[in-house]
Amino acid sequence: MIEGEQLRKEYNMGDTVVHALDGVDLRIAEGEFVSIVGASGSGKSTLMHILGCLDRPTSGELLIQGQPVSSMNDRRLAAIRNRYIGFVFQTFNLINRTSALDNVALPLVYTRKPFSKRDARRALERVGLADRARHTPSELSGGECQRVAIARAIVNHPKLILADEPTGNLDTGTSAQIMEIFHDLHANGLTIVIVTHETEIAVQAQRMIQMCDGRVIDDSHVDEARRREVVALVESTRRRMFRTRSAS
Amino acid sequence: MFLFRIIAMAFGGLWTNLFRSLLATLGVIIGVGAVIAAVSILQGAEREILERFESLGADQLIVLNGSSRRQGRSVTISSLKLSDADAIERDNPKLVAATAPQVQAGSQVKYYQRNVYAPVLGTSPAYAAINSYDVADGRFLTREDVRGNAMVCILGYKVAGDLFGVRSAVGMKVKIAGKSFDVIGVMVERGTLGFIEVDKQVIIPITTAMGRMYGRRKLTSLIVQSTDPTKLVECIESVKKTLRSEHRIRAGKPDDFIIFTQEQIKENFAQVAVIFAVVLYSIAGISMVVGGIGIMNIMMVAVTERTREIGVRMAVGARRSDILIQFLFEAGIISLFGGGLGVLWGLAVSNLLDTVVDILTTYTPPIAIVFALVMAMVVGLLSGVYPAMKAARLDPVEALRFE
Ligand SMILES: Nc1ncnc2c1ncn2[C@@H]1O[C@H](COP(=O)(O)OP(=O)(O)OP(=O)(O)O)[C@@H](O)[C@H]1O
Ligand SMILES: [Mg+2]
Repeated sequence: MIEGEQLRKEYNMGDTVVHALDGVDLRIAEGEFVSIVGASGSGKSTLMHILGCLDRPTSGELLIQGQPVSSMNDRRLAAIRNRYIGFVFQTFNLINRTSALDNVALPLVYTRKPFSKRDARRALERVGLADRARHTPSELSGGECQRVAIARAIVNHPKLILADEPTGNLDTGTSAQIMEIFHDLHANGLTIVIVTHETEIAVQAQRMIQMCDGRVIDDSHVDEARRREVVALVESTRRRMFRTRSAS
Repeated sequence: MFLFRIIAMAFGGLWTNLFRSLLATLGVIIGVGAVIAAVSILQGAEREILERFESLGADQLIVLNGSSRRQGRSVTISSLKLSDADAIERDNPKLVAATAPQVQAGSQVKYYQRNVYAPVLGTSPAYAAINSYDVADGRFLTREDVRGNAMVCILGYKVAGDLFGVRSAVGMKVKIAGKSFDVIGVMVERGTLGFIEVDKQVIIPITTAMGRMYGRRKLTSLIVQSTDPTKLVECIESVKKTLRSEHRIRAGKPDDFIIFTQEQIKENFAQVAVIFAVVLYSIAGISMVVGGIGIMNIMMVAVTERTREIGVRMAVGARRSDILIQFLFEAGIISLFGGGLGVLWGLAVSNLLDTVVDILTTYTPPIAIVFALVMAMVVGLLSGVYPAMKAARLDPVEALRFE
């Protein structure tokens, strides 16, 4: 459904050129659940922005359902972002002065068709926040804000959800709730791409892509053995940390 | 529908910073308020003056004492004599139908305990005909009254009412400045004639006024009625010639009198009004420019503050033009709002002036309000263009990263 060929993104910083993406080939099929991991500065966010049509690659081509993005104008890209893609950010990016419901309804406005807020309310129900519709983001917890943001991402029934470190600002318990929602969306047929630093989160995907210095260095299926291995590793690390902390 | 949503969002943007938005529109508020107040005063004055001159006939000339400059100051030269009136009639039989000399003064008019202060007009019998202003009861002045310096008077409608109530005044005796006069008539109700409230006026023979009553040797003014309103210019020239020879003014010396027609007074007023309007609209223009800069400034701040919001809107599918329209509308709405407050302020000021200042009547034409609001809106839109373009041109990725 979405295909990148030799995607490059370069930033000219005076005399040096930063290669944020250095030739990425990538193919994501409909219904996949993909995680992207990699060190800070490895180009994960840059890739997400390009996949989400928020940014254009310096060179290379992105195909969305077979259509080259380079041939589309800004208007068309805005329409794709509106109907085809839902974004979830690390910092939620809600509009603070309006209610949760209005935040969720925002993409509907830009669809330029008459709509009822019932769709927005239904999206809030899906993330379990129907009772907070009238609250403003400042009256909600971080986890609730992220759920509102997810509701906003799905309100227009997109095909693809792009989430850039959606749990980066949340504690473990809340992260688990958020991941629960992503799993649920995936089960309902949405394609999900999620950037994360946490291996625990990353192994919950079916496929894990590792990036380094603007390139994909590993792209593999996550099998059950790997998943268990990671979980065990994390558990033991945590126990060890707990022990050292209580010893000191 | 879509536009409506965008406008609603523009309102939302303003509402969160209501106070700041209002502050930004101060220039517009002051500008619009000043325009409304000034237009109201000007229009009120114009209406009043034109209305009053309308009641003077288009076939009349008004001759006033002239003035000269002495040591930089304008001094009135009392030059009009009673004999001038007769001379004008005598010398210009074809052009002049009648003349009415006027001496104006004011005195206490008393009937036993009742007492009013009234403007007193000394004039001749022609006054009634020239102004088509006649008695309701009794009779007007006659040549005999004038020739004989008769102690007779005709009361204005209100004066008669004030002194005699519903009783007939004709045949009664009143005291004007302590001197006894026979009331020979009461005028019809007329309101004003020119600038004079004739209903409150008392008319006596010109000779009596100049002699026994006020001891004046010169007239206050002279009304000349021409035979043909289309020959007014000729008539003026002719009257001028008569007066110059009567006053023995040598060729090359300036007139010691002024002749006005209703048209001229209107024109003069129109000229003054134009100057006034130019000054006024310049002030308004400057305030609007200041207001526009204020709005532009506040919109720049808003765009910077809401950079992330703009990024979010773009991320969920807003076109650049949607962002442009939203911020343009915000600027237009603030300015329109400021304009609305300005209109209220201007109306308040002009109403206050109307009630507090006695001689001032203000009138606000509805079109002025519409014009002011449209102007405010346009100023807002214009000053919103640059900030809105700045917002629309933001790179969505940069905008989302903005702290
Ligand atoms: N606007 C820009 N101008 C210059 N360099 C940029 C710009 N945006 C990104 N970069 C550079 O591109 C590289 C990749 O950035 P990117 O944000 O994609 O990294 P990331 O993998 O998302 O990192 P993190 O995990 O910290 O979010 C970095 O070296 C960054 O400094
Ligand atoms: Mg990143």
